[in-house]
Amino acid sequence: MPTQDPHDPLLLDSRLSELSRAQQWAEKLADRLGLNQKTRYAIRLCLEEALANIILHGYRSEAGHPIVVRSWLSGQALFLAIDDQAPAFDPAQSPQQADASDPATLESLEPGGYGIRLLRHFAESLAYERLPNGNRITMSFPGRPG
Amino acid sequence: MIMSSESLEGDITRVLLDGRLDIEGAAEIDLRMNVLAGSAKFLLVDLRNVSFLGSMGLRSLMVPAQAVRRRGGKVALFGPVPMVEQVLKASNIDKVIPIFHELDPALAVLR
Repeated sequence: MPTQDPHDPLLLDSRLSELSRAQQWAEKLADRLGLNQKTRYAIRLCLEEALANIILHGYRSEAGHPIVVRSWLSGQALFLAIDDQAPAFDPAQSPQQADASDPATLESLEPGGYGIRLLRHFAESLAYERLPNGNRITMSFPGRPG
Repeated sequence: MIMSSESLEGDITRVLLDGRLDIEGAAEIDLRMNVLAGSAKFLLVDLRNVSFLGSMGLRSLMVPAQAVRRRGGKVALFGPVPMVEQVLKASNIDKVIPIFHELDPALAVLR
């Protein structure tokens, strides 16, 4: 697989095995921008959670569908946008948000459904757009070294 | 993802995890963690060498912890690095599984 310039869109197939390629792309982007470890961690985490959500839920683990990741800087922020062609899915409206209250006991916790909560916690902003035939999630992070 | 375990005094099983608990890492340890949870009475999960934790990794910690707790056992997490601890706290896991950075208090709460 050719190495992609971080300024170019990253084209992925809807397979979990593609996540490592996405992480390599993000690492190169972080290197280029001189981002600190905390921001790198946040980007890595959010990229993994968003892509896994699209592949597992949007495309129902079916390979062969496109996912496009783009990045750009605006002011002090680094933006990542992820486009798919899956059925409509707004993470902000996800029932996974129902777990937002404090858990009473370990046994009462649902073991799944933390991806969206982590996205909302670790991205500085998270926005959803319905596209004509897909979805776009846009996340932002601190885009300057520090 | 490297996983090993050892028995400590007081019926405590210490499981040491080393690597990234991302989707791939979680899949690598799930089965072994669940087997371990099937027999451990008191489980200390040593996270000092876990450099990354995502939602699937959280699941790999929670499911075995729930199994141990259902059988009347106890679970504690030990030594997460700051960003891993932030994931645990953002998920409220810290409210139901105690996190320790010193070994002695962790062992004391399990015994």
